Amino acid sequence: MITFESVTKRYPGGTVAVDALSLEIPAGEIMVLVGPSGCGKTTSLRMINRLVEPTEGRILLDGRDVQQGNPSVLRRGIGYVIQQTGLFPHRTIEDNIATVPLLNGWGKAKGRRRARELMELVGLDEAMARRYPHQLSGGQQQRVGVARALAADPPVLLMDEPFSAVDPIVRASLQDELIRLQADLHKTVVLVTHDVEEAIKVGDRVAVFRPGGHLAQVDTPERLLGKPADDYVRDFVGFDRGIRRLSFFAAAGLDLSFDAVLPEGTTAAEAVQAAKRAGEPWILVIDAQRRPKGWASAADLESAAEPDRLADARLAGYGHTFRPDSDSLRAALDATVLSRTGRAVGVDEAGHVVGVTSYDRLRAAIQAAEEAADQGQVADPDGPAS
Amino acid sequence: MIWSWIPANAGLIWQLTLENAILGLVPPLLGLMISAPLGIACVRWGWLYPPVLSGASVVYAIPSLALFVVLIPYTGLSDATVIIPLTLFSLCVLVPNVVDGLRSVPEPVRQAATAMGFGTMRRLAQVELPVAIPVIMAGLRVATVSSISLASVGQLIGVSSLGYLFIDGLQRDFPTEIFVGIVLVIALALAADIVLVMIRRLLTPWQRGRRDAGAPPFVLTPQMEQNLPEGVA
Repeated sequence: MITFESVTKRYPGGTVAVDALSLEIPAGEIMVLVGPSGCGKTTSLRMINRLVEPTEGRILLDGRDVQQGNPSVLRRGIGYVIQQTGLFPHRTIEDNIATVPLLNGWGKAKGRRRARELMELVGLDEAMARRYPHQLSGGQQQRVGVARALAADPPVLLMDEPFSAVDPIVRASLQDELIRLQADLHKTVVLVTHDVEEAIKVGDRVAVFRPGGHLAQVDTPERLLGKPADDYVRDFVGFDRGIRRLSFFAAAGLDLSFDAVLPEGTTAAEAVQAAKRAGEPWILVIDAQRRPKGWASAADLESAAEPDRLADARLAGYGHTFRPDSDSLRAALDATVLSRTGRAVGVDEAGHVVGVTSYDRLRAAIQAAEEAADQGQVADPDGPAS
Repeated sequence: MIWSWIPANAGLIWQLTLENAILGLVPPLLGLMISAPLGIACVRWGWLYPPVLSGASVVYAIPSLALFVVLIPYTGLSDATVIIPLTLFSLCVLVPNVVDGLRSVPEPVRQAATAMGFGTMRRLAQVELPVAIPVIMAGLRVATVSSISLASVGQLIGVSSLGYLFIDGLQRDFPTEIFVGIVLVIALALAADIVLVMIRRLLTPWQRGRRDAGAPPFVLTPQMEQNLPEGVA
């Protein structure tokens, strides 16, 4: 656990970068510090490994003041990843990764063995071990940076805008990778970013900074979106926070309809009858294995000289499906919006149809989920994330 | 040209070449030993750099012959009389190159090294100096070539070098000897330069395959940035 006890950083010119910051970073979690430039988030990060020394206050790492003792020794126990990677251009990838083990006096061979392990962990081909940093792509260099930070297995990992210099696709995959790694490693991670999306995606908790080095809100991503502390946070997390918040609500609460889901052997007349009973303009046609085939329009079936059975009817594509058992309401909403019929097909693991959703059903589910979340907030302000 | 003069005087030519090589190579090496700590100090304490640089430039402006003459009362006609001035001259090239080389280390690299837990000395020895090698070696090449050619001037005060061939050839009105002297000075300088390039390649395997592998990386020093015209950055 890392504890900031009213930490202030004032520069000689009088600029206050961080103003009486008090913050608790629980062990084994990803804490994201997010805010506009000049809000003190990077300064706060660098005070943890003493690249910047605080003017006032204390920072405790597992109860011990980081100010006490040798900074080099402290730093070898704290992984550090930066945007520009800071890889050593004159060292091979494996020697870059083995930096801290070598500093700690491991032999070269043991250090390199450890480097190979880490390369595998972060998804780097072993063939790159003997290359130099400039021979790698930006995304690969960033993976090396993460591997180097993890080499001595430090309990704490500091990451300063680690994914900001790579393109959006690589960034997304690196973020996924971090989440995957963290699930195994349970490091105490402090990650600085200016990107709210990133904060919400990777953070177990998010600390929103406002200019002048003040904390605006510290909360789980879900509650940051659901209950912004003030207008500043509301603006900062963005007007689409309502939609993004849906990523934290399970689609399992969605009430799915099976009324207008019919096997392809059904006759047109029966199908029209069923659609009318259900009040549904669209019928989802499924095959014998209960897999979706497409949407049939009840109006078309009734008016035109249509074929006898649904199997021969003209069908509209069923589009994206979603998994009510594992997806979020956000995925269900996306599938619904993208569907031509305004309805989306829920399937199970095997691809069998379990039901159909619509805007009305989504709206009800979203309202219920939001109410439950907001009440949970009142009853249990320190409840678990997501 | 009377080429037969060459084999007839092979022993003399070889000896002069050797003497010139020693007089030319020792100063840049001594200069490097002085300018490395001096340059490191200049980077560490920025205020030190302007006076050091001015001092080196002033020394460089003194004619070599004048410096030789000044030293004769102290060091006589020994090699030291030539080696000391040439060493001082080399500082004018080497100190700025050590400083620029160290400043060419990207800030994120320096910061990462600190954050990994390198102490100041270890960071200098294992990260900053190795990364600065291409720039330092570029300076060493210039200093060596100029020192080899300047060493021949020592002949004027009687310190033996290839300069002997120029003076003797002039006095005897014998162009072949002058010609041989010039070619050998150039050849010596070229050979030294090639050796230095090979040493740099050995020391910087990480530069291989880079587009700029042959030349040291171009680095804008703060001074150079100040000299840029408005609007160029």
